[in-house]
Amino acid sequence: MEERPYRSASGAPIALRRRQHSASCRELAVRCPRLQLRSLSAVTSAVWLAAYALFVLSENSMVLSAAIFITLIGLIIYLHFVKIDQESLLVIGSLGIQVTSSYASGKESTTFIEMGQVKDVVINEAIHMQKVVYYLCILLQDPGDPQGVSEVVPLFQSSKPRLDCLIEVYKSCQEILEQRKTGLQSS
Amino acid sequence: ENSPAPLPERAIYGFALFLGSWFGFMLYLIWAYVPETWLFSLGLTYWPQKYWAVALPVYLLVAIGIGYILLFGINMMSTAPLNSTHTITDNYAKKQQQKKFQEEAIPALRDIPISEVNRMFFLPEK
Repeated sequence: MEERPYRSASGAPIALRRRQHSASCRELAVRCPRLQLRSLSAVTSAVWLAAYALFVLSENSMVLSAAIFITLIGLIIYLHFVKIDQESLLVIGSLGIQVTSSYASGKESTTFIEMGQVKDVVINEAIHMQKVVYYLCILLQDPGDPQGVSEVVPLFQSSKPRLDCLIEVYKSCQEILEQRKTGLQSS
Repeated sequence: ENSPAPLPERAIYGFALFLGSWFGFMLYLIWAYVPETWLFSLGLTYWPQKYWAVALPVYLLVAIGIGYILLFGINMMSTAPLNSTHTITDNYAKKQQQKKFQEEAIPALRDIPISEVNRMFFLPEK
């Protein structure tokens, strides 16, 4: 069990935690940057100042209470649906891969991909909004074509780790995925 | 025979275009500035409304401005999303033929699958 600091694509500090549960089971968790107090207070002050300006113009006090309401509801919605706290990858050698995203409100969303469908885990480069990004993805096997890829599942989309962190995760995954090839050849 | 060198024919085309563009510009200025009554007195009555002398340049400039934004937007829309297989392979790569490996010859050019490329880049050589 070790935890190492890295940087996300935008420069924010993230941490990679690796746990080896057994010889063929590994868990890799990337902790995303926390919600900054300064950005929270900046957004809140902007909304409240705009509401106060509207109140001065319109003399309607409902604007102020509406602004407070909107800020609270907006914060709750953001924490529950948007702000991801931790993204983790659990690779179990003969069973499959489980991808979990934990949100700031405590909600967890999980996806499980069984090993028969997994072709490989690779680091891919693609163009995204005027930038070229490296991202880790799971290639799913095409049932009709042994060489084909039917789907690409990108991982760590919110924490966006940089290449050095991705290489560590890639190496850990490949050590487990190689075992199933040697397992096939030996059996 | 397709050299970009100056030729007599090209000089004549260039001069004809030069005269034509000056004539067109003068005609546009006359149409835009000379009052309608003067043009009518000369017998030239069937001309478009002078409104268009201002509207057409404005249309052209706005179209050019929108064209910049449109081209940007079309580019962004045709970029494959991160979860599409087009970032990994395409029809030509799927249908490529595997040439036989010859000793002491340079291997044939082919599209290498992404798993192999990753192993070469990121796993240490043993």
